[in-house]
Amino acid sequence: MRRLTDHIQWRTMSGQPVVAHDLVVIPQSRALVLRLPHGFWVWNRPSGVRVEQRGRASDLPIVDLTRRIQLGLLGVGMVIAIVGAVRIGLRSRYPGDPQRKGTPA
Amino acid sequence: MIEEATDAFLTQTAQRNEQLAGMLTKILVAAQPGAVYSEPVTKGAYTVIMASEVSAGGGFGSGFGSARTPPRPGERSQVSQAAQASDHTAEQAANSGSGMGGGGGSSGRPVAIVIIGADGVRVRPVVDVTKVALAGVTVLGTVAATLWRMRAMRARAAK
Repeated sequence: MRRLTDHIQWRTMSGQPVVAHDLVVIPQSRALVLRLPHGFWVWNRPSGVRVEQRGRASDLPIVDLTRRIQLGLLGVGMVIAIVGAVRIGLRSRYPGDPQRKGTPA
Repeated sequence: MIEEATDAFLTQTAQRNEQLAGMLTKILVAAQPGAVYSEPVTKGAYTVIMASEVSAGGGFGSGFGSARTPPRPGERSQVSQAAQASDHTAEQAANSGSGMGGGGGSSGRPVAIVIIGADGVRVRPVVDVTKVALAGVTVLGTVAATLWRMRAMRARAAK
């Protein structure tokens, strides 16, 4: 019997280290791999770089600014749409309620 | 006859599966870090690595079937059962067929640039202006439609 992890894998991998000056930079990526009986899908994105210098290591995250702006805009749009829908719903339910700024029936 | 057709189909399927496995292995390279990070480019005192988001997908399918031919009128009374079965099998083999198809695609988008210099490592994000603009236009459209609907509702309530 196949398990879910046979079909969906979330891998974190390190690439080839790059040596420049006295720094060793190890690029890291996260990949979502979907294996289906008749297909597959791979989504691989950079997650960050590990910087090693004189025995000390630090991680620098890689932020996908485009994706964040897109999600932010989507969130703003959804909030406005939900607030608008709620207000429309209240107006149609209580048309004469001045508390809800409806016009008296 | 039908056995030969089935054998041929199975051989072809095995060959195609090998080809597909090879193709899948090539495309699954997209899951490796090498697909995300470019080769480092050194210019002067700086080394630059481009980091990109990569996605790839694909699918395939295959099928095999034979056409069922109805017995001709009067065939049962004239031909023996064995001969009829043999004719039917031959006809089925002649009318059988197989097919296979697949497709896939991949896309990539730069996410950030890693700059290695004497002063340390810096990560500079890359903004895809087209994607942001498209998202902005979509959100503006949604907001405008919501506000327009609210105004229409208010006008209807006022009447």
